[in-house]
Amino acid sequence: MTKRTVVLGMLGPTLDGGKGAARWERWRPSVAVCQQEDLLVHRFELLHPPRFAGLAETIAADVKRVSPETEVRPSPLTISDAWDFEAVYAALHDFARAYPFAPEREDYLVHITTGTHVAQICMFLLTESRHLPARLLQTSPSRREAGGSHGTFAIIDLDLSRYDRLASRFLIEQREGLSSLKGGIDTRNAAYNGLIERIEKVSTASRAPILLTGPTGAGKSQLAARIYALKKSRRQIEGDLASINCATLRGDGAMSALFGHVKGAFTGAMTDRAGLLRKAHGGVLFLDEVGELGLDEQAMLLRAIEEKTFLPVGSDREVKSDFQLLCGTNRDLAAAVAAGRFREDLLARIDLWTFRLPGLAERREDIAPNLEIELESAAQSTGARVAFTAEAKDRFLRFAISPEAIWSGNFRDFSAAVTRMATLASSGRITAGNVDEEIARLRASWRRPELAAVNADVDPVVEVLGEVRAAELDRFDCAQLAEVIRVARRARSLSEAGRLLFAASRAKKSSVNDADRLRKYLARFELEWSDLARAQPASG
Amino acid sequence: MMIGIDSLAPTAHVVGAGPLLSEETVMLTIDGSAGEGGGQILRTSLALSLATRTPVRITGIRKGRQRPGLMRQHLTAVRACAKIGSATVSGDEIGSREIVFTPGEVTPGDYTFSIGTAGSTTLVLQAVLPALLCTTDRSTITLVGGTDNPMAPPFDFLARAYLPLLGRMGPGVTAEIESRGFYPAGGGRFRVVVEPCAALGRLDLLERGAVLQQSVVATVANLPGAIARRELDAANEVLGWDPACLRIEMLRGAPGPGNVVSIVIESEHVTEVVTGFGEKGRAAEIVGRDAAREALAYLESGVPVGEHLADQLLLPMALAGGGSFRTTAPSSHTTTHLRLLEQILGVRSAVEPLPGGAWSITLSR
Repeated sequence: MTKRTVVLGMLGPTLDGGKGAARWERWRPSVAVCQQEDLLVHRFELLHPPRFAGLAETIAADVKRVSPETEVRPSPLTISDAWDFEAVYAALHDFARAYPFAPEREDYLVHITTGTHVAQICMFLLTESRHLPARLLQTSPSRREAGGSHGTFAIIDLDLSRYDRLASRFLIEQREGLSSLKGGIDTRNAAYNGLIERIEKVSTASRAPILLTGPTGAGKSQLAARIYALKKSRRQIEGDLASINCATLRGDGAMSALFGHVKGAFTGAMTDRAGLLRKAHGGVLFLDEVGELGLDEQAMLLRAIEEKTFLPVGSDREVKSDFQLLCGTNRDLAAAVAAGRFREDLLARIDLWTFRLPGLAERREDIAPNLEIELESAAQSTGARVAFTAEAKDRFLRFAISPEAIWSGNFRDFSAAVTRMATLASSGRITAGNVDEEIARLRASWRRPELAAVNADVDPVVEVLGEVRAAELDRFDCAQLAEVIRVARRARSLSEAGRLLFAASRAKKSSVNDADRLRKYLARFELEWSDLARAQPASG
Repeated sequence: MMIGIDSLAPTAHVVGAGPLLSEETVMLTIDGSAGEGGGQILRTSLALSLATRTPVRITGIRKGRQRPGLMRQHLTAVRACAKIGSATVSGDEIGSREIVFTPGEVTPGDYTFSIGTAGSTTLVLQAVLPALLCTTDRSTITLVGGTDNPMAPPFDFLARAYLPLLGRMGPGVTAEIESRGFYPAGGGRFRVVVEPCAALGRLDLLERGAVLQQSVVATVANLPGAIARRELDAANEVLGWDPACLRIEMLRGAPGPGNVVSIVIESEHVTEVVTGFGEKGRAAEIVGRDAAREALAYLESGVPVGEHLADQLLLPMALAGGGSFRTTAPSSHTTTHLRLLEQILGVRSAVEPLPGGAWSITLSR
């Protein structure tokens, strides 16, 4: 079954105009579209300003005459000012959003020959961004000034898939954090809805610290942002939201990032730095992965919470900051206290209100509504609209809610999956083929759960070397080192890590001293075995 | 000199073995790019496929044209044929280079086909009509769209020249016009009533006989009457007929402008119609003069059948299994047509020049 051709076009009051029989001697683009020998238009959505309803009716009747196969549907479109870009764009954008596009059954052409140049440009932009999932249709009069000539047409396909490839890798990074948990979504999981209600109650009634726990990717930082937005909308706070993932803080930089420093406090401290706590003054400070904070920082933080004052690095003058503290962790902090890695008094201060966010696998009924939200946010961030074919959507959801889908990276996995499919979809359609590929990709990543979990976490190279030194490495070395660190962290000793890393050579007996080989490798990065172990996450 | 059509190289082939028209496994394949390679081969193939209930595959449709493959007007004809013959069709889309048309039962009855001005009502009729000539019941075909278009047989030609000759082969075929439709506005409407017969009879049209009546009608719609006047004057400068033969017809209520000059020559054994089309940028005098020159050439040739009528007669004569007529020199259109008829129906033809510039065409089994 071939698709039906649908033309979307603006009525051109000037070009399409003309009265009486003489109008047939003029080239009228909206009529000419339907007179082409090699273009059969099944439906023509003729947008027109309400005051030109009469002309639209004339065009509809004339098209019926020259092309009985074409159904013309004049639809009035109110634009406050046809020469104002914003007004025209908004009106057309609204039209595009409301239009029931069915690309699996219909082939859309946007006729850009008629309308003001403003309208033409807006149509072009909306087509380019796939808000109008169409190709462009341009008509032109024939060169010879023959009466009644219907001229010619050209179809322009703005297939931008080649740009999508380039954009994809940035998008995945950028959008991992964008998954909203309940931002406007109709969540169906009752337990989750109850949790959100309690959090909202607590956060509006109290200024006490709140601790959010739950697996990586469950949406802790999104929820923190929402709590901030909620408090701000209720005018309980005036300041900003300052967020940081404590796992990225290392050494002198950690103190300085949190508490700021004065000029000359240490080598490289060229100017004063305010620090996050001061930035959060009057607002909200969100410390994600708070369990990764070093003991010195923990002590400083405790004082800052209790006394609302602290000392910037290198300063002897106390600074005031009053903020609402939110913390996030995927660790068992009680176990960290027992292991001596986390201050008991700090935990007592921050876990007055603890909320545990369920992972995605625990709220499968929310997967379907979130799929729509993910696609919507893909459309917003890429500016290009992407939709599933009916079959593809069904196939993906069936997999996504099945027990087989463990969603070990939670919303991060989910968001990345949708982003990848949206990026690889050609001309705005995610097909069953795209879905099958993605399902295979997800299965493969979940088969290596320890890898997936670490991947979803902080880059181990940054953890070990710090951001500055990590940034100096080639990607090639980064990738290699990251894998070495991951393996090393699962090993009990340098020798065991060496055996694991050089297992293939060992089998061929070509490597005699694995531990030495690993030690030499690490030395290239000025690392020792203990450097890797120091950052090793607590177990249990 | 005799030109045996069977001496020409075959332009199509039958896939599989067995007789041409056997129902089983054989698919008749027509090379749509042979000869003119235009829409005519397609329409003739469809008409014959329907009339003989033979499935047909047409390949290379409009090959080598600037826009090859099926155009809308062809698609309209395919769909109309499929409708009256309950046919299954594959490849029926714009730009398609190949279609397979498998007719079912041809059902007589009332049909209405609305055809845009990009197509032609008379060309669609040409494709569906032959199959309805020999059915069990009366059919009424209403056609809506353009009736007078330079790229197709105009209505007057159909009603006055072609259909009466079909009637002489057995069936009763009449056409009645309700309104004319000109390119591009269309809006014309006419009805053809077919009283079928058991089988078509042979027609031999070798003599014209005496001219009984002749007329020149200049029709204008939504255009000044002066245009028609100028056309008539120019035409009669060539023809020199009694002014009583000249008539102006001014149409009211037509949606768009239109202008056509019809010269009708009614003779004892045949009526011929010559048509001139007015178009923007072409002087009324030229339109009138050229049509008149064509009519004069027909009169002077002494043959009963003009070039356009010759093309129309071949198909029904072949279906009847034989017939003959005298005409002017055959066009390449005619030659292509004859090859096709031989291939599909096994009808042989002889094209023979006669003294004085005329030709005779004879079809026989």
